[in-house]
Amino acid sequence: MKKFIKAGRRLFRDVFRLRSLRTKFIISFTGLILIPLILLAFLSYYTYLEILQQNVRTYTETVINRVERNLQIYLSDLERILELRNDYYILQFLKLSMIDDIEGNQKYTYRLWENLNNIKKYKTDLREVAITTLKGVKIGCYGVTNVDLSQNELFQILANRTTQDNIMAIYGPHDDWLGGKVFSVGCGIYGDYDNFLGIMSIDVEIDLLARICSDIRLGKTGYVTLVDQNGQIIFHPQAELVGKSVGLLLGNPVGESWRSGYYTYGNRVIMGKTLTLANWSIIGISDRAELVAEMTTVARMSFALIVGSIIVVILVALLLAGVLTKPLKELQSSMRAAADNLNTIVPVRTYDEIGQLGRTFNQMLTRIRRLMRQSVQEQKKLRQIEMRALQEQIKPHFIYNTLEVIIGLLETNQNEDVIRMVEALGAFFRISLSQGRELIRIKEEVDHVRNYLYIQKLRHGEKYDYRFEVENDITHFKTLKLLLQPLVENAIYHGVRSLESNDGLIIVKGYQAEEMICFEVIDNGRGMPASQVTAINRYLRGERLEEQEKYGFGLRNVHERIVLAFGQEYGLWLTSTLDQGTKVVLRLPLIKEDGWA
Amino acid sequence: MKLFKQKKGIILLFLLFAIGFSPVHTLGVGSSVRTRPIIISIVPKSLDNPMLVEAKEAAEFTARRLNVQVEWVGPFKVDVETQIKIVEGLIRRKVDGIAVSCSDQERLRPVIDKAVAAGIKVATIEADAPESNRLFYCGTDNYAAGVECGKAMIRIVTAKGWADRELNTVILTGGAKSHDLNERIRGFKDTTAGRIKLNYQTLLICDEDTTTAAKEVEAYLKKHPETDAFFFTGGWAFLGPPEAMPVYDQWCRNGGITVAMDTSYPVLQAALEGFAQALVGQDYQKMGEFTVSYLVCAIKDLPIPSDFIDTGLELADETNFSQLLQTKKPWDIK
Repeated sequence: MKKFIKAGRRLFRDVFRLRSLRTKFIISFTGLILIPLILLAFLSYYTYLEILQQNVRTYTETVINRVERNLQIYLSDLERILELRNDYYILQFLKLSMIDDIEGNQKYTYRLWENLNNIKKYKTDLREVAITTLKGVKIGCYGVTNVDLSQNELFQILANRTTQDNIMAIYGPHDDWLGGKVFSVGCGIYGDYDNFLGIMSIDVEIDLLARICSDIRLGKTGYVTLVDQNGQIIFHPQAELVGKSVGLLLGNPVGESWRSGYYTYGNRVIMGKTLTLANWSIIGISDRAELVAEMTTVARMSFALIVGSIIVVILVALLLAGVLTKPLKELQSSMRAAADNLNTIVPVRTYDEIGQLGRTFNQMLTRIRRLMRQSVQEQKKLRQIEMRALQEQIKPHFIYNTLEVIIGLLETNQNEDVIRMVEALGAFFRISLSQGRELIRIKEEVDHVRNYLYIQKLRHGEKYDYRFEVENDITHFKTLKLLLQPLVENAIYHGVRSLESNDGLIIVKGYQAEEMICFEVIDNGRGMPASQVTAINRYLRGERLEEQEKYGFGLRNVHERIVLAFGQEYGLWLTSTLDQGTKVVLRLPLIKEDGWA
Repeated sequence: MKLFKQKKGIILLFLLFAIGFSPVHTLGVGSSVRTRPIIISIVPKSLDNPMLVEAKEAAEFTARRLNVQVEWVGPFKVDVETQIKIVEGLIRRKVDGIAVSCSDQERLRPVIDKAVAAGIKVATIEADAPESNRLFYCGTDNYAAGVECGKAMIRIVTAKGWADRELNTVILTGGAKSHDLNERIRGFKDTTAGRIKLNYQTLLICDEDTTTAAKEVEAYLKKHPETDAFFFTGGWAFLGPPEAMPVYDQWCRNGGITVAMDTSYPVLQAALEGFAQALVGQDYQKMGEFTVSYLVCAIKDLPIPSDFIDTGLELADETNFSQLLQTKKPWDIK
């Protein structure tokens, strides 16, 4: 079972993985329609079969009841006729026969012939009405005969009853002496002292049973048959089967269950009922094949319905799939075109989810176009700022002054310092250019500032000192280049260089704070009043101020570069106290070798 | 004739003695042998004809005496088809002897022959089928009976002085194909021809039914009151109450002539009432007695003296009606 479920899942997955949306839709739609349809067809089939079987059963039961009623009525009529057995002439005939009074009995003989023949006319099926005496003399419609009582079954049945019994006995079918097939009914005749005198019997043509049963049909080939208490067929539409064992019809060995109830045997549906008055069984036999044939028709119709439905469903599914997937295909086509041309516009024709998707896609394209324009502008601006930052760093007088210092050192033969100075200057420019890279390692940025401070310190003498407190752990992270140098430059020119004493100090700190890299450039220079600090910070955040030039282009350039590159949460923050110094805090994201952390 | 009758009686007595009244008869039936009483079945033309009551009674007495079983089986009304079926049934039952009173000799001949072929001793009684293979016929010489009736008619007509007058004559018979009745008619006509002038108007057929016979006669006389004479081949019309025939009664009183067969008690009673001027009777007792006796002889493979067992005739006219009536037993069956 699990295997089947697994295989089913796999098939389902494969089908839905490989097929197009249209195919999936057709398969889904067809499945959704067909599965209930097939279930309905099966349900209808079995419901119809059940109803059909029930109807067959009810009809068979009705037919059998009708046969039983007809037979009961007929036998009841015979029973009433047999009540004439206590007629005076009959009793006299029996009594005189007992004493062999030939002469005296002539009168009753002729009278009985007349009476019995009149009784025979009551019903067309009566073949003989007779009185049989204990001596075996039988007087009937055809005269007087002698019978062997030991061979007369009906007489034996009635004579062997222990008490006077008015219940009619039935025997047969059997051949009468005139060559006709009859069944016999009879009642005992009793004398004044309940002594058994003989019987009155009526022979009924067996054709009566045919007249009652032969026209009855159960379906096209079903029929009703009658079986006596010994299991012998007494009526069957095929006359040659009369007298044969019922086992021929129901199979041997045959029990007694067929006498009543409803059951199936082989290809036949059988219902039996016992006619209590005669102890016969009325058996209705229907051919299941007819039922099956009818059901085959239903099955064929169901099959045709299913096949027809499949065709219709597939056609409808194709149509609907076309209608539903056409916008999707157009959307897909437009999306493919958008990959090459962002100016593509998806045509929107509906207000459904696909239409909404198209509209959203169009909005997305618009936004992408806007962002791309914005990105282009920002990149352009970034390049301009960088260029300006570079221009700021490589100021001609910085180079002239540095070269003059180098000349001075050469003149004083401080060759070691010259070497050191030229190395620092070279490193300074190399890092400034960085082969055009925008991001450099923090170590390089710190080295760059270190070279810058070395050169400036040589120029400015003992006016100030500097110190680096950069954690080694952060030196492998990356940063935009040339961020610290403008800050250090400001610390020199606006902070410590104008101090009257020579104890100016610039501290460059670098550390990791949570998910950010922080740099602090601290000087103990002149500082600024709070209003100026506020104004500078506002200027850094993009506000236009009347005297913005005096707040320094360098700070603004650094801040904008950081914000353009990393967002508004990064950048510069300035704190300062007048005559005590200034601290600029620079916040950057953690950028590893291969990108942001 | 008288000598023959005496001889026949002696022979019969001898035969009866020879039979020895054995109570049972050993019969070969097919390949097996079984023992049971001899069964002789007498098949009259119909059961409702009381004429044969004397024959039946005599047959039963004879059977009792001979210790055999006799059956009396036939159609209730004259019906040759049923009679044939009955004989067929008796053949199936393998009775020992059958005596048939043939309502239609031609139709019955094959089944009689079939019974003979089956080893059954078959005779005819009352009405013969001479062309068949039956063993013997026991009954009246019907031609002779017709002759006697013709003679009686001549006597009566002559006595009335109507010998030279053309007489409108009607014959009532039981069945057109009944050999015995036709023989009577033939004897009657042969005898009267040239002697008196009987102008035969019609042949009334009553199927040997008493009621039908009376109705036919009454109806005819109502239409043809000019009728002068009747010849009844049987006494059926007289077996019912005389009140049932008022037209006929009046016709008789007006001088109508009737000669009829049968001298049974009710017929003689009717004759005394003036319903007939001459009667020719059959001896039904002998028919019953002789039929059973000779069939038993045949079954015992004893010789039968003749294939015609004549039971004789009984002549009656207005001179001996009363005397004869006293010898008859009244019927108590209707």
